[in-house]
Amino acid sequence: MTDVVLETLRLTRRFDSPPERVFDAWLNPEVAARWLFTTPGSERHTTALDVRVGGAWKMTDRRDGVDYTALGEYRVIDRPRRLVFSFGMPQFSPEFAEVTVEFAPDGDGCLMTLSQDRVHTDSIGPLTAGWAAMFDALAGLVAAA
Amino acid sequence: MVELSPPALDSVFHALADPTRRAMLRSLAAGERNIGELAAPHAMSLAAASKHVKVLERAGLVRRRIMGRSHLCRIETRPLAAADDWLRFYQRLWSRSFDALDDILCEEPAPSARSDGESS
Repeated sequence: MTDVVLETLRLTRRFDSPPERVFDAWLNPEVAARWLFTTPGSERHTTALDVRVGGAWKMTDRRDGVDYTALGEYRVIDRPRRLVFSFGMPQFSPEFAEVTVEFAPDGDGCLMTLSQDRVHTDSIGPLTAGWAAMFDALAGLVAAA
Repeated sequence: MVELSPPALDSVFHALADPTRRAMLRSLAAGERNIGELAAPHAMSLAAASKHVKVLERAGLVRRRIMGRSHLCRIETRPLAAADDWLRFYQRLWSRSFDALDDILCEEPAPSARSDGESS
């Protein structure tokens, strides 16, 4: 069993706010609901964040009458340095990616780096076996649609 | 939008994760090559080069045809387009999100932050 993790996407952005504030914007439901997985034309947005390691997060955004859901699980919560969570959008793909966000002080601001990895299916171990079964079921549904 | 199943896309990213295989693809982009030609710049055996080509084949990035004793490889660009679509989709999603986050952080200065409302 190989454990292949492929970093496929990396973005860096500087904010004029200290790392603590930028970090909290990801986990504070009131703040996160205004920018994360939402769009200006959103008709309804729901946010459920169980902010603890192993806790689930789920955000649903309604656009043109259709609900779009992004969900995952928190893996690392290290305020204000590092946040790691899994992330999937089941409507589009049965796959889950792992997202790592790092926050570094930069003058009186913060340099935030996001990297998104595709976790190779081979690396799905016993811990995520339940998820693997769910992904398979979703893949079947997507294929049948 | 070019669609590829997630396992197929995984194998594309896996194939692209290796610098030798990326170099092989660059070489193939210029035209067909046999295994010996692909191995030459990397000081590797034909067997080792063949292994890399197999990974590229599994990802659908390379087609191989046998001409006598020579195995000729050709690049297939469709899976690359799919990988590119995937990257662009998430890049757009995150970039837009960060724009919105920036707006929020600017409009609500934290108590400890500078109190001047002017942008420098």
